Amino acid sequence: MAQIDIRNVQKFFGQHQVLKNLNLTIEDGEFVVMLGQSGGGKTTALRAIAGLETVTSGKILINGTEVQDRKAADRDIAFVFQSFSLYPHMTVRENIAFPLRAVRMNAADRDKAVSEVAETLQIAEHLNRKPSALSGGDMQRVAIGRALVRRPQALLMDEPLGVLDAKLREQMRAEIKRLHIARGSTSVYVTHDQIEAMSLADRIVILHDGVLQQVGPPDEVYLHPTNLFVAKFVGSPVMNVNAVRLEGNSVVINGASQGFHFPDQMLGHARSTAGEMTLGVRPEAVLLSHQPSDGFVEAVTTNIEPLGSHDIVDVRLGDTVLRARTESAFVSGEGQKVWARIDPSQAHFFDTATGLNLRGAN
Amino acid sequence: MAGVRTPREILTNRVAIVAVFVALAIMLTPIYWIASTSFKPRNLATTIPPTVVFEPTVSPFVKLFTKRSQLREQPTQEEYDAAPWWEQMVFDGGEKVVRNRRSGEVTMSGYGDRFTNSLIISIVSTVLAVSMGTLTAYGFSRFKVAGEDDWLFFILSTRMLPPVVVAIPMFLMYRVVGLNDTHLGLIILYTAFNLSFAVWIMKGFIDEIPREYEEAALVDGYTRMQAFFKVVLPEALTGMAATAVFCFITAWNEYAFALIMTNRNAQTAPPYIPSQVGSGLPDWTVIAAGTLLFLIPVAIFTFLLRNHLLRGMSFGAIRK
Repeated sequence: MAQIDIRNVQKFFGQHQVLKNLNLTIEDGEFVVMLGQSGGGKTTALRAIAGLETVTSGKILINGTEVQDRKAADRDIAFVFQSFSLYPHMTVRENIAFPLRAVRMNAADRDKAVSEVAETLQIAEHLNRKPSALSGGDMQRVAIGRALVRRPQALLMDEPLGVLDAKLREQMRAEIKRLHIARGSTSVYVTHDQIEAMSLADRIVILHDGVLQQVGPPDEVYLHPTNLFVAKFVGSPVMNVNAVRLEGNSVVINGASQGFHFPDQMLGHARSTAGEMTLGVRPEAVLLSHQPSDGFVEAVTTNIEPLGSHDIVDVRLGDTVLRARTESAFVSGEGQKVWARIDPSQAHFFDTATGLNLRGAN
Repeated sequence: MAGVRTPREILTNRVAIVAVFVALAIMLTPIYWIASTSFKPRNLATTIPPTVVFEPTVSPFVKLFTKRSQLREQPTQEEYDAAPWWEQMVFDGGEKVVRNRRSGEVTMSGYGDRFTNSLIISIVSTVLAVSMGTLTAYGFSRFKVAGEDDWLFFILSTRMLPPVVVAIPMFLMYRVVGLNDTHLGLIILYTAFNLSFAVWIMKGFIDEIPREYEEAALVDGYTRMQAFFKVVLPEALTGMAATAVFCFITAWNEYAFALIMTNRNAQTAPPYIPSQVGSGLPDWTVIAAGTLLFLIPVAIFTFLLRNHLLRGMSFGAIRK
């Protein structure tokens, strides 16, 4: 197992810069998820660590050794592809044994290693079949088995669950987590699915346009997003993001008739900016009430998404809409009059021009 | 609704079956003609209307492989009785088998050697064209090649003029370097001719093989070359088989260059067979026998590779 160090890495494809001065240290045994939209540079970063992509400048260190100029074969890392990339002309057994043949391990040790991995991944009964005869989940298990069998320094995964259906994805997610806990292998995992990222990661790395946006444990990224991109990208349903202005201690959403009252100490940072401001509130921080009470603003429900465990309710205030999370069947239908409030402790103020969190509320 | 067919589908199906039979009849008639003629006695080969029912004989094949001359006088009964069955057949046709004056050994015709030449030249040039074509196609498919499109067009452009146009210059060049009438000369010629085809076809096949296969092998500790042989090549076999069949047929059937560039040592079967028409009245049965044997290697080769030709590309293990 190993520590991976990425230092000042830049990557150009022709004129197009896909990685902009990337710095990141992945600790030994850590599970790091790179999260971002497609084209954000996360896959390029992963392939650069693997040696499938060269870097234009900067260094990549594995256990303190510079590897950026080494071939992929000499880096002792394993890679799981989104497409699984199992060799169709080989059986499952041959597929898993393939990396061991590269290092000319003797047949007895090889068989032992293959059986052991197959046992862990519960694919022992498929060893003599061809990959095309397997289900998607089993293909994925074989791909992971092929990656793990060599006991590499690090395990890199590029959207490994991307092609599976939703239910299987959830199941495999749990399996990958279990495997990571059992093996403790340094893992780097690329995905655009923020739920996958939240559930798997020790730390999440958010990349956008080749720039690292935020690095932190899932709860930190969720509760304290450093900028608007992170705030909007992490969390489902998406955070409410509205342009606001301050009127005394009242935060008024542009287009709404009435503002929300915030305690003075929550507005210190917000007051410090002279420019335009954006308010970000997660749906669970928008509180609804059936009765008018202090600090609540009148609103009308426009849309309800019943999700079983809870409902997502859209409420209109003047010309704008906020999404709120309520307990199931809290409101019975559209067009109802309700009263809404924003929890000041869960509100984020962003500088509209730079997108940066003003750190007002937290 | 598998298994249940509308009347319209049944009709379409029947029409298709009839069409297939018509097409088959058109394509197989010449082959039947050649096959039947090669087992006919000479006097039945050119009857009008054609003779369909006859007592088959292998005398055309005997004549194909031996050198013969016209009988000046009938053999004596002892001579006839002493001759083996196949020589009697030649006597019956009014000819005799040429034998070495001293050893009495039968003088063989050139067909066997020409046939062997055809096999050597076609197989070697096919192997060369397919292997070089596959490597070239892999390079074009996987690496950034400066001016890639221009190179590929240049390779293709070698097929754009009828080959016979360059026959005379080729002949003169070959004469200078001493490649005329050599196996090597024809092998180089056919390899060069098939190479452009092989590169283009193989590029199509290799483009279809996902790069992830090699990348997986590369991170698993293999070199690029090992990855090519262990991962890409097995996946490209289908394409290589199809390409090989076409290259082999082209080389096997080539007539014009073989006629111009060779005369004795390296002559292939295609120019040899019609050369037998030349002297005296043509013996069509012998020509038919030579042609029939000439068909067999291509049939065997195609038959052996039929699974690869039919299977198509199977990429069951890649999900997209």
